[in-house]
Formats: sequence, C-alpha cells, structure tokens
Amino acid sequence: MKAILRCAVFVWLAATSSAHAAINVFACEQEWGSLVKEVAGARADVYVATTAAQDIHKIQARPSLIARARLADLAVCTGADLEIGWMPLVLTQSGNAKIQLGTRGFLEVSNYVPLIEVPTVIDRAMGDVHPRGNPHIQWGPRQIQLAANEIAKRLAEIDAAGSAEYQRRLADFTARWTAATARWSQLAAPLKGVSVIQHHVNYSYLIAFLGMRLAGTLEPKPGVEPTASRLNDLIQQQASNPAKLIVRSSYHSSAPSEWLAERANIPAVMLPATVGGTAVAGDIFGMYDDAIRRMLSAIGS
Amino acid sequence: MRLKLQMKQGSLLGLLGVGLLCTSPSLGFAQNAELEQIRRQLTELRNDYESRIRALEDQLRAAEDLAKSSQQAASEAAAAAERLESAVTQVQNTAAAAQRPASQTALNPAISVILNGTWGLYESDPTTQITGFLGSGASEILPRGPSLGESELFLSASVDPYFRGSLMASLTPDNEVEVEEAFFETLSLGGGFTLKGGRFLSGIGYWNAQHPHTWDFAEASLVQRAFLGNNYGDDGLQLRWVAPLPFFLQLGTEVGRGRDFAGMGEIERNNNGANSWALFAKVGGDIGTSYSWQLGASHLRQKTESGVVPLFDYDDLSGLQNRFAGRQRIWGADLVIKWAPDGNPLYQNFRFATEYHRRKVDGQFTFDTTGLNQTDAAKAAQSGWYVQGVYQFHPYWRAGLRYDRLSSGTVDLGANAAYLSVPDFDATRLTFMADYNPSEFSRIRAEISEGRTRQVPATGETVSDTIAFVQYIFSLGAHGAHQF
Repeated sequence: MKAILRCAVFVWLAATSSAHAAINVFACEQEWGSLVKEVAGARADVYVATTAAQDIHKIQARPSLIARARLADLAVCTGADLEIGWMPLVLTQSGNAKIQLGTRGFLEVSNYVPLIEVPTVIDRAMGDVHPRGNPHIQWGPRQIQLAANEIAKRLAEIDAAGSAEYQRRLADFTARWTAATARWSQLAAPLKGVSVIQHHVNYSYLIAFLGMRLAGTLEPKPGVEPTASRLNDLIQQQASNPAKLIVRSSYHSSAPSEWLAERANIPAVMLPATVGGTAVAGDIFGMYDDAIRRMLSAIGS
Repeated sequence: MRLKLQMKQGSLLGLLGVGLLCTSPSLGFAQNAELEQIRRQLTELRNDYESRIRALEDQLRAAEDLAKSSQQAASEAAAAAERLESAVTQVQNTAAAAQRPASQTALNPAISVILNGTWGLYESDPTTQITGFLGSGASEILPRGPSLGESELFLSASVDPYFRGSLMASLTPDNEVEVEEAFFETLSLGGGFTLKGGRFLSGIGYWNAQHPHTWDFAEASLVQRAFLGNNYGDDGLQLRWVAPLPFFLQLGTEVGRGRDFAGMGEIERNNNGANSWALFAKVGGDIGTSYSWQLGASHLRQKTESGVVPLFDYDDLSGLQNRFAGRQRIWGADLVIKWAPDGNPLYQNFRFATEYHRRKVDGQFTFDTTGLNQTDAAKAAQSGWYVQGVYQFHPYWRAGLRYDRLSSGTVDLGANAAYLSVPDFDATRLTFMADYNPSEFSRIRAEISEGRTRQVPATGETVSDTIAFVQYIFSLGAHGAHQF
C-alpha cells in the first residue's frame, strides 16, 4: 500500500511539475511550434508532434502524441486534411475536452489563410488529394502572418492574463516578419521566373511568393512516389518546358531528384521541409533564409 | 530630364546667335550703338529664355514631386489592398464555414467502405478446430477458393459538441448484415476521461480492437482465434482515462452483456445484470526519434449465469454436441515496438508485436447433450502467444513473419474424462506474408502458413496444414485512421 501511495505521489509530482508555463500548446508541425514561441515567448510550454524529417501525411497516433495532447490547453495544426490520418484519433483518444474539434482550443490554421491549388475535381484517382487545397502553407509569408494573428488571438482567449504580452509580441513579430519578407523578395530576385520541379507539392507557396515557375512534380500524383515512367516524362518535358532546378524536402529520398538532375543536367537541392529541416533552419525565419539561399547557390547566384 | 533641358537651352542660345550674325547686313558698317542695342537685345532674350526655362524647370520639379507622392500613395494603396484581401479571405473562409451547416450533405457522416476478398488454398479440408481447445470452432476462418470477404461500411460523425457516433456494419459474403460496432463516445467529459457505449470491440490485447482489414496478416493469430474469437466485442460501456503525464498511461474498464463467451461462441442472455467485465492498462512512449513502444496488460472475466455455451466437440471428429456453464477469466499482456528512421515511416519501417493470453475456465461441462447428457465439474488452464515482425522495405512493399503457439495446458473434465481424451498438445504455426501497397488505400497480399494445429486422436499423430492466401483490401471514401 505504501509503495502504491509513494508511486501516486511521484506521478502527481511529475504531472504538476511539467505545468510551470501559463499555457500548454500542442503543435502538430514545427512551423506552428516556432510561431507559437514567437508570439507567446516563455508563457507557453510548446510540444511539437512532428519533425522536419517526417512525412506529416504518414504519422500514426502514437502513444506519446496522445499523452501530450492530453496535457494541452491549445492545439495548433495545419488542417485542410494534412493530419487527417492521425489527429482525429489523437483527439478522441486524449480525453481532453479543451482541444476537441469545434472548440476554441483546437486551431486549424488553414481556416484562416488563403489556400492555393484547390482542386476542382476531387477523386482518389488523382492521388491523395486535399479537397480544401494545398496544405503546405508554411511556405507562404502572408499565410504565416495571418497564422500568427490567429495564434495570438487564441492564446489571449485561453490565457487572458497574457493578452497584453501576446499583443506586444505579435506586433514585434509582425514588424520583423514584414522586414524579413521584403528582404527575401530582394534576396531572391535572381530566382524570379526560374522554372522549378518539386518532389511533392511542398513548396508551391514559396514558388508563388518568389515568382518562380512550377514546371512539374516528381510524384506522378500527390502522395504517390516517383516512378521511372514519370521521371522519363520529365526528361522529355525538358525539351519543351526546361526546368532549371529540382527541389525536394528534408524527408524525401534523394534518389529520384538526383537521378533526374544527372540526366537533365540541372541541379537538385534539398530544402528544409519545415523548421529544423537543416541546421540553419532553426526557426521560422531561418527556414526561409535557408531555403532561399540553398536555391540561389544551386542556380549559381 | 533636367540635364537634357539644359543642353537644349545651350543649343538654343547658340542657334539664336548664329541666326543673328547671319541676318545682320554687315559687321563692318555696324555702329557702336547698334552693337550695344543688339547686345542688350541678346541679353534680354537670354534673360527671357532663362526665366522661361526656370519656370519650366519649376513646373517639371513640381510634376516630379507629384509623381513621387502618388507612387507612395499607390504603394500604400497596394498594402491596404493586401490587408483587405486577407481580411476578405478570412471572411470568405468564415462564410464558407458558416455555409457548411446550411448544406444537407455537408452534415453527412464520414463514410468509408472496405472491399476485400481472398483466394484460399488449403492443403486439406479447412477446419477451425484446434486440438485441445474447447470451442475453438466458434470463430470464422477464411474460405477455400475465391471468395468475397466481409465488406465493411463505416459511418462516423459528431452527434453534437458532447458526443461522437460511429457505426461499423459488415456485409457478409452470405448476404447478411452484421453490426460489428455501433457506439457513442463522449467528447467533453474532460480530465482525460472518455465514456463509450453501445457495441464495440474490447480494448483488451493489441490487435483485438482493430478490424481485420488493418491486420498485418490475412488470418488472426491462433491465440486471438482460440481465446477471443478473432475480435472480441460486446454490448456495454467502456470508460477510459489517460493520465496527465508526459508519457502515455491509459486505464480502461468495460462492463457488458457478455454477448460472446470469448472464443467459444454466442450466448442467449436473459438477466438484468452484466455478465462480462474487462480491465486494461496501456503505457507507451517514444525512445529517441526512431522508436516508439506500447506495453499493455488486460483482464477479461465472463460468466454464463443464465445461459450455457453450446460447444462443438473439441476434437472435431466424433461430431458430438457438448455444452458448458460457468465462468472464464483471461489475462493478457502485449508489447508493440515500432521503428522508422528519424520517425519517418515513408520509406522504411518495422513493427514488432507480441501478445500472450492465459485462460482459466471452470464450471459444469455436459457431454453429448443429445445422447448420454452427462454433466460434471470441469476446469481448464490454457495459454497461447505469438510473436511477429513486419518490415516495410520500400514505399510500396512490406514483408512479415509470425510464429504462433498455443498450449492446451491442463484440462480436467471430471467424470467426462472417461469419454473424452484430453490431449496434451501444443499447436504451432509459422506464417509468412508479403504485401504490395500502391497507395495508402489499396493492398494486395500473398500469405503462406505452415500450421501444426491438429492431432489425430487415435494415433496421436500431428497433422500438418499448409495454407496459402491471395488477398485484396481496398478502402474507399473517408480517410482511415493511422492507429498505432
């Protein structure tokens, strides 16, 4: 009995000691974790469910995710069906009423930002399509700003005491983000009009932001791994619609892009999928810096 | 612009000078006064032009300033437009969200359908009987030859902010509809609690709560078949609690009708109380970024109370009908370890799973209900386990190996032991499978197993069965859940 009591006390201590911050945040992806840190600072204890090495579509509702969702006051996810395979299960398994679907504690960022590549015809014959549009919104600077605004709003709703701090930090972030966005536009001027092939549709927002041209994807259909026939088609396509660059994300295999790069004689470059994808991409700013620099150095400017 | 104008000014004056020189009749006759006049006139002209040019320059400067300020105004307007656009998007999104409930179809539950079928090749006549196991014939096995599997229909949606409802119906190849699961689940109890009610698959064991289309092998493990009837489910209530800890700790309890006497078949119930209780606990977490694990323990206890279990003869040869009244208790433990490099299962991953169950049965056993009809006390303690590994070595391909073992343990049939031999027999099976998954929604599998699950009572000789399957599993509609 004494042992059970001692164990219970230990469990209680372990549970309470982890709750030192004003608010516990469960971020589905690294970019939202980084953004919450920007807006909330030390007021939030942020747990990020996935890494830049992982394909978000393929995540399973692991026990660790359920445990962390159980502790959260706010969950910040992309939505638009990106986490459809695991987040609904994590939510129902967590038994946490604060972050269920439809509550203010569950934020799906995609509901607050414009999405691109919205399919007009939806059928699984087209691959793993997302009916609401391309969910890889972390690569749109405008999307990031709108996300930060909504995150600040939700944080203030859940933790009213921190409201002023969230506002102050958001204003500070906005100023830095606006300056950074202008800097990136200038820095990436040589990339304007450059034709690019991407592995998956990870970088569509970045390509649009930098005024690059999308020449195709290595995947024959979204979520379907590149096939030999697809790669051959892309080589054929080089004659009529030549691409200058191939990009893949940090969680994709290098083999298909390197194969094509060698045959088409154009550079292939790995970009961070999100924050943490490379050593330089330490936060939401670093991730843009690094992606743009990597593409610039790949095209030799 | 200004530079150009200055040049023009210079050339104008030059031209003027040349013109004047040419038009003067003769420099020789020119008087000093005349010259002076001409000079004055020239200076006047120059002054006049210079002032006009200065006026023009001023006008130009003003125009340029205007252009500059209008440019600034334009960029300000563009920024305002962008702000407006994002506001509009937000409004549009909210409007779209607000519109959704207005549409009838938008409130339809998530629907998905599982289509599956097998081609079974059995070396000898298929039987579900496992020597030494009471009632092991109660569960279903895949048929011989080409056959449609159970087509499963899943419907699920939020009832309101407080409950979620799900229905899983199975359309059997015999053209019947079975309700496999139909339950509500609370969404807002909070504190880590979830209450589930209705018909559902029990949370005991690892594979039990998962539907056959998610299994790693076409057939259930022997222990799952013999003790839990492939998937043990019941009508009742389940309460789960997740502890507020940085690692996963879940406790659960179930109370139910006892519709199935696990692994032995259905019972007609006619009493007010519950006949079945279950407890389960799961702990789990991650080790680094590449490994994750879950350890489970479970207990199920059931009584026949108002009913009896009709049992096939357990050696499957005499064709006698027997029955059992009493209780059974099942203890289980399970461990799952998953590996994926950096936690990314896209290209490679591995799942290791093992499960152990021990069953104790005690009650009254009636031998040959249509003939001798002799009843006496009976007791049995039996166990079984499996260990399996499935490796995805390519985005499209997986291969897996499983070893099953059942121990008939101790069986005491009392007076009925005179009529029924009690073999001391360990059933074993080795299964290999490979499947091709062109997408997350389709799977084509080949499986072959070598089972030694039956004994010829007369000779004590073990019968070896080689069984092979080709199976397809397709999932349509709403995206399935990626269970751990």
